[in-house]
Amino acid sequence: MSNQQPETRDQYPHFMTLQTRWMDNDIYGHINNVTYYSYFDTVVNSFLIDEGGFDPQGDKVIGVAVETMCSFKKSIAFPDPIDAGLRVGKLGRTSVRYEVGIFRGDETEASASGYFVHVFVDRATNQPVPIPRSFHAAFERILVTD
Amino acid sequence: MLCHVNNVAYFRYFEAIVVRFQMQEAGVDWLNDPISPQAVESVCRFHRPLSFPETVEAGLRVERIGNSSVTFALALFGEDGATPAATGHFVHVFVDGDTLKSQPIPEAKRKIFEKFS
Repeated sequence: MSNQQPETRDQYPHFMTLQTRWMDNDIYGHINNVTYYSYFDTVVNSFLIDEGGFDPQGDKVIGVAVETMCSFKKSIAFPDPIDAGLRVGKLGRTSVRYEVGIFRGDETEASASGYFVHVFVDRATNQPVPIPRSFHAAFERILVTD
Repeated sequence: MLCHVNNVAYFRYFEAIVVRFQMQEAGVDWLNDPISPQAVESVCRFHRPLSFPETVEAGLRVERIGNSSVTFALALFGEDGATPAATGHFVHVFVDGDTLKSQPIPEAKRKIFEKFS
């Protein structure tokens, strides 16, 4: 199930620092499982905007989430700062698989890791289209294959 | 913005049915039970968009019962009928609240999980 070795920082070429919020903690006093997916969403879309030139309001082609997964290894709690590591594990014609590691403070082993698959579609028709060139170039820069 | 429910929210819906099931059917008391469930893994596959103010129905079955963990298979249905808008799973592991070490599923809860598998 989740017996594999924890992910480490050196497996990620791109990082974004995020500040946990008070409201991220749940009844157990740690970051709620659902909140990790908002960290995934944040690092992925920030990368698309900053590195790929994505305009969420104006672009004709948008990324739609088709599958996401997270494996939770160790707790994190507010006010811990976190680093979200990002790499592209698989680059297809119309889809990309991002892989994300969530690191607490300056720890080298990930507290949680998972993936997020985007398929790119025409905003008007909702049909899959080839990955736009500017996104593709950005993905190639963080592509890590085994 | 994109006129559909954000992907993160689907996990909130998953959590809602799992947490209610654990409380109402399995009798979990999150604050007082010495051994209680914690999320270790979840997955969601998005088949078609849901959109506010659509009413969503969530379905759950117990997919796998391990020594200390239980896996729930989940589906979310929109108002248009029989095929799910999203499917996935959610794994809870039972842990000791003090040591955070995994523990065997309490017997009474295991019996409940068997009923829903």
